Amino acid sequence: MPDPLLSVRGLKAWYGESHVLHGVDLDVHRGETVTLLGRNGAGKTSTLRAITGIIQKREGSILLDGQDLLRTPIHRVAWSGIGYVPEERGIFSSLSVEENLLLPPAVSREAMSLDEIYELFPNLYERRSSEGTKLSGGEQQMMAMARILRAGARVLLLDEPTEGLAPVLISRIGELLKVLKKKGLTILLVEQNFRFARKIADHFYLMEEGQIIISFPVSELDAHQEMLHRHLGV
Amino acid sequence: MFDISSQALFGQLLIGLINGSFYALLSLGLAVIFGLLRVINLAHGTQYMLGAFAAYLLLDHFGLGYWWALVLGPLLVALMSMAFERTMLSKLYDIDHLYGLLLTFGLALVIEGLFTFYFGSSGLPYPAPDNLRGTIDLGFMILPIYRGWVVVASLIACIGVWLLIERTRLGSYLRAATENPTLVQVFGVNVPLLLTLTYGLGAALAAVAGVLAAPIYQVSPTMGTNLLIIVFAVVVVGGMSSIMGAIVTGYVLGVLEGLTKVFYPQASSIVIFIIMAIVLLARPAGLFGREVQVTATHTDTASDPALGNLGYVIIFACVALLAVVPFFLYPVFVMTVLCFALFAAAFNLLLGYVGLLSFGHAAFFGGAAYFTAHAVKVWGLEPLTGILFGGVCAAAMGLGVGFLAIRRQGLYFAMITLAIAQMFYFICLQAPFTHGEDGIQSIPRGHLFGLIDLNSNIAMYFLVLAIFVAGVFSIWRIINSPFGNILQAIRENEPRAISLGYNVNRYKLAAFVMSAGFAGIAGGTKAIVAQVATLVDVGWQMSGHVVLMTVLGGLGTIFGPIVGAAMLVTFENYFADFQIPVTAIIGAVFVLCVMLFRRGIYGEVVRLFRLS
Repeated sequence: MPDPLLSVRGLKAWYGESHVLHGVDLDVHRGETVTLLGRNGAGKTSTLRAITGIIQKREGSILLDGQDLLRTPIHRVAWSGIGYVPEERGIFSSLSVEENLLLPPAVSREAMSLDEIYELFPNLYERRSSEGTKLSGGEQQMMAMARILRAGARVLLLDEPTEGLAPVLISRIGELLKVLKKKGLTILLVEQNFRFARKIADHFYLMEEGQIIISFPVSELDAHQEMLHRHLGV
Repeated sequence: MFDISSQALFGQLLIGLINGSFYALLSLGLAVIFGLLRVINLAHGTQYMLGAFAAYLLLDHFGLGYWWALVLGPLLVALMSMAFERTMLSKLYDIDHLYGLLLTFGLALVIEGLFTFYFGSSGLPYPAPDNLRGTIDLGFMILPIYRGWVVVASLIACIGVWLLIERTRLGSYLRAATENPTLVQVFGVNVPLLLTLTYGLGAALAAVAGVLAAPIYQVSPTMGTNLLIIVFAVVVVGGMSSIMGAIVTGYVLGVLEGLTKVFYPQASSIVIFIIMAIVLLARPAGLFGREVQVTATHTDTASDPALGNLGYVIIFACVALLAVVPFFLYPVFVMTVLCFALFAAAFNLLLGYVGLLSFGHAAFFGGAAYFTAHAVKVWGLEPLTGILFGGVCAAAMGLGVGFLAIRRQGLYFAMITLAIAQMFYFICLQAPFTHGEDGIQSIPRGHLFGLIDLNSNIAMYFLVLAIFVAGVFSIWRIINSPFGNILQAIRENEPRAISLGYNVNRYKLAAFVMSAGFAGIAGGTKAIVAQVATLVDVGWQMSGHVVLMTVLGGLGTIFGPIVGAAMLVTFENYFADFQIPVTAIIGAVFVLCVMLFRRGIYGEVVRLFRLS
């Protein structure tokens, strides 16, 4: 197996005084979709925030294609190919939909043009001059993902993209993720919706109390079914 | 009813429009800076002044004329301001936003002190460019060309900035970073650089206003400060979150002010402040504003060491020392120190224990000085009664001011108190009983209880000492009462205090009234000691002074403000005759204090000796 694209080793992180990650190890290979499972407060979001540098107080190592993200200033992390969709989606209300889409600077040659984005998300085109936060939750989620695709991110960090959405929208997002996967994008997905995740993920990590307690490929999913139910309470 | 010639009407309208141009440019700059940096830029008036001086100096030293100045002046000011932001201001973003305000205040003191020292406080003339001299007859009025140009130029600058922010890629970064700077940074935008550029843009706008103003007003080191306070009122009226709101409010209020000059000239200097008060009552977030929550994140307040037996011994030793001091030092000097120390302690009750920065406490201090002086001199009241009367009047004023000011939080609170105090200053300037520029002079010290002759400095001293000890003791009791605990809970975590069922606004108002009352007692006492009550005591510089004393000494401690007051008064007293600009030195010390030892001198000493 080749070296992973994103490799996290012994990652510890703190919010001020409170210690939230206690040594996280995980690998994401090129073109792979990896899902982080775990209960509320297990440290899934914190892991993403530590990778992007939003949490600055951290130890261990985060390597992206050999580049040490721990030593990369926050505003340079995107330039190494990381695109982040936060749980709250982070749509800006003082920007129109189109301005929201154009906000992240294009960071690679894979950056998509607005036309390509509108082709992929036709309903965003119709509402391109609306105020960003006037859109529905599903549309905002699409916009948050479209935004980092437009910028040309190669590694997508998605924090609970299905949260609070109606089933029809969830399946729409699932289809979108399959398309992105086919395009060769690498995805690290935080998800509580286990049924959603099993359809797209190649590999699973289960977190508890700021640590990875087990990881397995999708092929072993059925073998771990009972254990997952115990841990996730689903 | 009004017998107004159209010439006078249009003349004042034009003046209003010109003032409005400056209000718009300055409030736009303030709003741009505040939006992204969450800093109330108290150096904004200084940057305006620097713009005017840049024009003056470029002409004087390099023979570069107006048009060069209009380009180079703002550029130079922007570069200096960006250097300041990068090296100093940016270090304070992670702590309470009040420190940003305090730092820019210190910077303003340093620069204005130095400029007053080198150029004097009288104005320097600056000629309008040749091609903009003369007048045009518009039929209904004679328009001086330069004045017309000022209105046009400021409109161009305002619209240009509006387009930059609303219509460009850079502007969308700025708007987005105003909402969520972290996420914008994660997207790959260099937000720290954006902050620096934004501060530079705001400063450049102020400098543009300064260059435009140079041929109209005289170029002087203090030209920016009074203007800035009016601009604060404009900004409170318009609301800080809207760029267009800042521009429109600037012009409208300038014109309204001009109209007031035509119809009711006595009110022209305070009309903007009155409008501010009305807007605060009706629509606290401002006409165009959305409430932006700027909450304190972290203050470096020191704490008093727990009082053991040793502590009490030290306190008694201090009081005993104070009792013998007048036999060695000049009593009037020590009395002045004690008055300011009580003033600072009263101010600290609000800032140190409730976390409310009032930038208008001079109104209570100086106002009470007037009330006491009037009561003693004109009504012939007994001196101690006069002082208490002053305190009660100040508390009553505090009730009114506090009622308005607590409607907004944090930095807005500082601006509102500053603006209301400035309104009071203008009232004092015009009201007959204060005797305007002369002040109330030769106030009789009289006889305490009709018995003890206070013309003896020693007798007077012991009265002042008694008032001081009683005042500070009362403040100490208030802080350590259940009421005081609730105040501190509000400072630490206001939403939590609300959720526990406390009506925090009522507590804040009560603290405000008490603080004003004690400040009033200090002011009244000072009036009796110095036997004069003047405009100096109500000016915004006095409000700044008490902030300096408290922060220098140590916020949130009983003794810090007293130490700070003693230091500052001593400092001014001994350096006043020297050939160095005192204000600049005090400003520099203050800047150091904000940057390096935010616990204040007393706070740092206590920490050093690990007493707390």
